[in-house]
Amino acid sequence: MKLARVEVKRAESLKRHTIAIAEAFIQALKPLRITIEYPRERRKYPDTFRGFIVFNPERCISCFRCAQICPANAIQMSVYKRAYPGIDYSKCIFCHFCVDSCPTGALSSSKVHDVAFKNMDEMFVKANQMTSLPKLHREDEVTVEYEIEKGVLKLKKEKIREDLSLPAILPAVKAKKVVCVDPESCIGCKLCVQVCPHEAREALVFEKDENKIKIVIDKCFGCGLCVRVCPMNVLRLEVVK
Amino acid sequence: MGKTDYYDEYEIQVHLEPWSELESLFIPIPSKYVEEIYRSEDFLVLVGPQHPGSGHMRLIVRLHGDIIKEVIPDPGYVHRGMEKLAENRTYIQNIPLVERPAIMDAPNYNLGYVRAIEDALEIDVPERAKYLRTILAELGRIGTHLYDAAILAIFLGHSTGFMYPFAIRELICEAFVRMTGARVTTSFIIPGGVRKDVPENVLKFVYDATFEIERRLKPFERIFIHNPTVFARLRNVGTLSKEDAIRYGLVGPFLRASGVEYDVRKVEPYEVYDRLDWDIVVADECDSYYRFLVRVNEVSQSLKIIRQCIKDIPEGRVISEQISENGKEIRGELFDKLANVVLPKGEYTTLTEAARGSLIYTLVSDGESNLPYRLRIVTPGWLYLRGFMESLKGGRLADLQAIYGSFGYFPPEADR
Amino acid sequence: MDVIGIDIFGIVSFLFNIFKSNMLNIPLLKPLIDFLMGIPILNLIVALVLWRPFFGVVILPGLTGLMLYLLWIVYFERKLAARVQWRVGPIEVARPLRGAIQALADGIRYFFQEVIVHREAHTPYFVQLPILSFIPILLPLAFIPAGAVVGIRTPYALPLTVAFISLIPIFVIAIGWASNSRFAFIGSMREAFMYFAYEIPFVLAAISMVYVYGSGDLYVAVEKQTIPGILLNPLAFIVYLIVMLMATSRLPFEIPEADQEIAFGPFVEYSGILFGLVMVLAYEKLYLMSLLFVILFLGGWSGVEIPLLGDLVAPLVLFIKAVVVISILVIVRAVYARYRLDQAIRFGWSNLFGLSVASLIFGIMVGWLM
Repeated sequence: MKLARVEVKRAESLKRHTIAIAEAFIQALKPLRITIEYPRERRKYPDTFRGFIVFNPERCISCFRCAQICPANAIQMSVYKRAYPGIDYSKCIFCHFCVDSCPTGALSSSKVHDVAFKNMDEMFVKANQMTSLPKLHREDEVTVEYEIEKGVLKLKKEKIREDLSLPAILPAVKAKKVVCVDPESCIGCKLCVQVCPHEAREALVFEKDENKIKIVIDKCFGCGLCVRVCPMNVLRLEVVK
Repeated sequence: MGKTDYYDEYEIQVHLEPWSELESLFIPIPSKYVEEIYRSEDFLVLVGPQHPGSGHMRLIVRLHGDIIKEVIPDPGYVHRGMEKLAENRTYIQNIPLVERPAIMDAPNYNLGYVRAIEDALEIDVPERAKYLRTILAELGRIGTHLYDAAILAIFLGHSTGFMYPFAIRELICEAFVRMTGARVTTSFIIPGGVRKDVPENVLKFVYDATFEIERRLKPFERIFIHNPTVFARLRNVGTLSKEDAIRYGLVGPFLRASGVEYDVRKVEPYEVYDRLDWDIVVADECDSYYRFLVRVNEVSQSLKIIRQCIKDIPEGRVISEQISENGKEIRGELFDKLANVVLPKGEYTTLTEAARGSLIYTLVSDGESNLPYRLRIVTPGWLYLRGFMESLKGGRLADLQAIYGSFGYFPPEADR
Repeated sequence: MDVIGIDIFGIVSFLFNIFKSNMLNIPLLKPLIDFLMGIPILNLIVALVLWRPFFGVVILPGLTGLMLYLLWIVYFERKLAARVQWRVGPIEVARPLRGAIQALADGIRYFFQEVIVHREAHTPYFVQLPILSFIPILLPLAFIPAGAVVGIRTPYALPLTVAFISLIPIFVIAIGWASNSRFAFIGSMREAFMYFAYEIPFVLAAISMVYVYGSGDLYVAVEKQTIPGILLNPLAFIVYLIVMLMATSRLPFEIPEADQEIAFGPFVEYSGILFGLVMVLAYEKLYLMSLLFVILFLGGWSGVEIPLLGDLVAPLVLFIKAVVVISILVIVRAVYARYRLDQAIRFGWSNLFGLSVASLIFGIMVGWLM
């Protein structure tokens, strides 16, 4: 498609002046305004929104996947009963790779996008602060949603205060447990035994006489730390039958 | 004790003549050149790095009266060492990083990088994912063109021309947030497809939004594009002939505005561009106004592409079988499937048509590590910087803002 | 009470008689005024305020009107531009009034802000010029009549007003020079270039109207407008309208102050109340020019008769007409981009100058016919 050469003669120029001024007057009378007066009105975001991350400690298996995938290095694990993630919101870029990495659905999203912190230290949100939505000082009384009806954008305003939490939908991933695919290659370095989390300590037993690792499958909850640490790559996570 | 005595007491012997190396730290041009300019009748004007008209970039302008004789760019004020940062992150962790150079163009930047990984791993992307990627890329292109139009308008002092594209861009952001969950940096395209399937009602919204964008572009056209003052400011300003445009290596819409019919989407089609019906927008006039007009027309071409994509989009999985069994979303498996991807040894290059022009990614893998050995990003901003400088020659000083805006030069993109 | 050899009572009663002899006649407020005139010291003040020359210069259409207009137009321009641009505009100051006192709030902020005088500035001029620039603003107000209310009545009102309005750019140029900064210098140079481009068409348009009405007396101009001046000389009307935009550096001729190019030009170094003073300079000039515009082209204060308000009608009508004209005019801020300096000067010296000469010839012909 080749663009035609535009020649603006004096008459055409005057016409364009008139059109521009007329357009301004039309807009002044009936503007196509789409402003949402934010603190008083809140925009309705979809359920796929990537916002403040909510944490459910009961589902967490301390697998460190969230901390290791984080591109901004914002997640630090700190030990409570087990190692739970805490997010540094001075670094977080809301890519939600952590949420998508969590195999059990312990991390989930919410519609909160406007958390303010008083200082830098507060920006590190610990696991116990992440279990529920942060306390917001909300001025909004109206929820606004963009809607296009018959090709015309409209602001659908509802006089409700929107609930910002999102239902925690569990990922469609089957539980996995560790298996040793090649016991012959095990060199008995015991790294897997050392990284095995506190509660599942007995899942991996080192048999001294054979110099090999034995897996107690009932104790394992499939965090996969041993798989990641194994230098010989003999451990795998596999779906439990 | 007088004031002078005070100074005498603490006087330190300082070498008053600045060293030539030290001078070059402040103005990256040889001191002889500066001396030559001051001996002649010319002026040296430093525009930037904090000039209200330019971005974080310095332009060293040699003026003869009001006419620009030569411009030397001093980029790099927003250099973030993106290529070096990429060497310390795994392949998947680099996805949010490579989106950062351009504000609205995140999907195109994401796509180019992911395609390099897919080239290496020989992953076949499912059809539905290809369509979704095309929609995202075109939305990003519209967003960037609108953003650039807004910046051009504010450079010319036209505040309405600034506000309208930003209001229209809000629809793009809304489409992004409904499709991906984020307004700007979507990080939605992953090796093997996209992160999540997009439901039908969202695609319907995007389809409707294309018409709303078209409807809202009409007031913008009447008040800004066809405005005689804008026409007077941009027409016959910053002209680059076809030969010059090729010689200085212009890319993207700026090359097409100089009459060269080149678009990566047509020359080396990726995703589904070869199956869609659209035109390359070309203009022969080579000046600032047509550089702007080409992009305005590209917006309508992009809207056409999006509509076709949404009409043609097939059902099916959005993540390749090679990556995940669950074809509908990556949730729960992102780490297991993609975190420790190791590319086979070799060098993988992809060429993408980002909004401002050709975008080149080169991934070098050593075949052992899960970190890239080297990631080379050549952004369009960097490629057309030379042409931008050449087009300034012969213009007036007040034209600098107009030409700057007409190129949509975006320092973070060029500096990476 | 002959304390220091001067008869204070005598002077006061002398002044009081002067004021009293030339007071506004407002039938609606007559009982109140009569009551106030009975109170000893208050009657002097009332007589002064209602003394016609004083009322014209200080109340309406003079200084108080100017201040009211400034509060209105700064708010209205922002609000109108915002509306055209799909925004909301100022809203948070006095939210129930939709931000109506925004200009007042800004003024108060400017007042309490620190005035920074940079080291390179020519300090005496830098500080004095914004205040001195009120002289060419206030002097024309004494000559602009509004019915029975007039400061100084003279048959040379039009030339005098035009001459004083033409003085204002000199103060702007001086401000740019006193700032002693690059941007300010470039800005004042641009102002000087623009000054020559618009001043001659402005003067020619005004003179053409003198020919149409046969006199430089603004009373005669209003009397002769049984047909409004727009129709008598439409060419002069167009020239005057464009000159109004150029002279007050509105878009598309906002060249001396171009913020993207030279960061508010001559006024770049000002802060605090001094910035407040120089910022409203262009608005004040616009007010003066539109008062003249209303008198020359829109029938001035004639057209409305309210017997109850008596002499107050004329200044009110003039003021409201001027404010309405400006309120419509400020929409150009949302319509246009900025021309380049050479384009604007070329426009001024070719099209506008040609048009103004044509309007002069047209005006002479119309004047000869009348």
